[in-house]
Amino acid sequence: MSQTAPGTAIEVRGVTRRYRSTTALDGVTVDFAENMIHGLLGRNGAGKTSLMSVITGQDWPTEGEVRIFGQRPHENEQILPRICFVREEQRYIDDSLPKHAFAAASRAFPNWDWDLADRLTEDFRVPKKTRIKKMSRGQRSAVGVIIGLASRTEITFFDEPYTGLDAVARQLFYDRLLEDYAEHPRTIVLSSHLIDEIAHLVENVVVIDRGKILLHEPVEQLRDRAVTLVGRQEAVAEIAGSREVLHQEQMGRITRTTVLGALTQAEVQRVRELDLDLVPVSLQQLIVRLTTRQAASGDPDAATAGTHTDPQEVTR
Amino acid sequence: MSVAAAQSSTQSSYARIPAAFRLQFAVPSSLVWVPLMVFAGAWAIATGIAAWLTFQTEATFTAAEPFYAGASQAAMWCLLFMAAYTASHTFPFSMALSYSRRVFVIGAFLAFAVVSAAYGIAFMFGIWVERITDGFGMHAYTFDLPFLVQGEGGILGAGLLAAVVNLMLMMIGFFWSILYRRVSVPMLWTIILVLAVVTLAGATLINQADGWGSIWEWFSRQTTLSLAGWTALWTAILAVLNYVVIRKAVPTP
Repeated sequence: MSQTAPGTAIEVRGVTRRYRSTTALDGVTVDFAENMIHGLLGRNGAGKTSLMSVITGQDWPTEGEVRIFGQRPHENEQILPRICFVREEQRYIDDSLPKHAFAAASRAFPNWDWDLADRLTEDFRVPKKTRIKKMSRGQRSAVGVIIGLASRTEITFFDEPYTGLDAVARQLFYDRLLEDYAEHPRTIVLSSHLIDEIAHLVENVVVIDRGKILLHEPVEQLRDRAVTLVGRQEAVAEIAGSREVLHQEQMGRITRTTVLGALTQAEVQRVRELDLDLVPVSLQQLIVRLTTRQAASGDPDAATAGTHTDPQEVTR
Repeated sequence: MSVAAAQSSTQSSYARIPAAFRLQFAVPSSLVWVPLMVFAGAWAIATGIAAWLTFQTEATFTAAEPFYAGASQAAMWCLLFMAAYTASHTFPFSMALSYSRRVFVIGAFLAFAVVSAAYGIAFMFGIWVERITDGFGMHAYTFDLPFLVQGEGGILGAGLLAAVVNLMLMMIGFFWSILYRRVSVPMLWTIILVLAVVTLAGATLINQADGWGSIWEWFSRQTTLSLAGWTALWTAILAVLNYVVIRKAVPTP
């Protein structure tokens, strides 16, 4: 029955989803490893929600195939109780209070944790006596986040979970997510268009744009793909050499240049001699640069070009 | 411990039907309290009108000329809308709770059946109360209507017919609501127009064939029991149709 490689929770193969006049997903092939936090990143309308809908069996592919733990999820009661996907604009039963939604969720998900749900309700200050449809956007998001966390399903999707949440509530979500994930490891997919917000949480990054996967890489590897050099212009130019410049800022005689490609040990030595600063590149900046470059060139491999994957060679 | 290790192994594909059934009553106002309120309220208003006519005007109702009200249907129309809400609101929420459409539909239709049975019982209760009190002493009847109770089925036949008609109306409410989710608005109106044209064409054909007489005759030959049987057949057809429609319905907002 199971044909999925061990350690793979979700397998998406050549998935295309066409609606009347639009193609939401265009030949998507991607795997999500088990027990890991994945960031599904992309601009608004890139296909994040469509991909999650197809993976969770709420929608289905026009072409291609999805497998979760080796099985098709669509209408599959062996798989579905192990997944939770609360949409960004989730609809609830008309007139329901949070307690109604949580009680329904507790009966649907076998691993539901009431203690966690109660604690999160207090933490997020979800009003207990307000009907969900009357809540503010942030409070509604919090209800969805609580269902996602307390369901403790093997695979949990969070669709732009921070929508409407204030800074305190967002931090609370990230903290509680990491806490609970440490105690109960599971596969989590966080979709977002705010990359730096979730950069410290995710271990693996999938970037989608116009229904196509642009990038799929572990965060560590991705961060090492570019460096920012800060210092005297001629010294920076010496190290940058023929590397591709992703971004450059000039402040008098000091230049701040982000280049693609890791530095060799010898180059790192030279950086010290030249008294240059090596600054790690923010994930957001890197992804934006890589994806705009690819979009401009129209080459799907452009985002992965110039990669040095030898860990000995890579430095920060 | 990882969540996967704690998760139960294979279970029956229908194991969550009881949970899907209870999902329909998660907010008890929709399928229980509001219909009950409408049932009692409509009955009280109809009886109140009879009382007002009796005490404030010259009208007097007798056993030979009693007061008949149509308020017994009120709860049915209320439940039709509640069933529509099930498709428009409970269905998208059931997707977030990761129910398969099949399990959701079975749970929802079981809930509709239980609510309809309760309506049938309430209907019989209404008949019984009106009968033992002679229409609250005023010969005012909302449930104890001759065409329903004076057949071979008696009170039970009336209750059964009320239950089955109620279930069919709930299926109709659910159908239009889920169809709205499934197809575009122009398509929805195309279907409505086609149905209207087919109905008109049918009526025209019956007119041309001078067939209305025989249709009324057919209806007059039916008992509450046989009518309940025919309604049950249509309800079953609608239930299957609803499942076909929801199978490819997507819970987008």
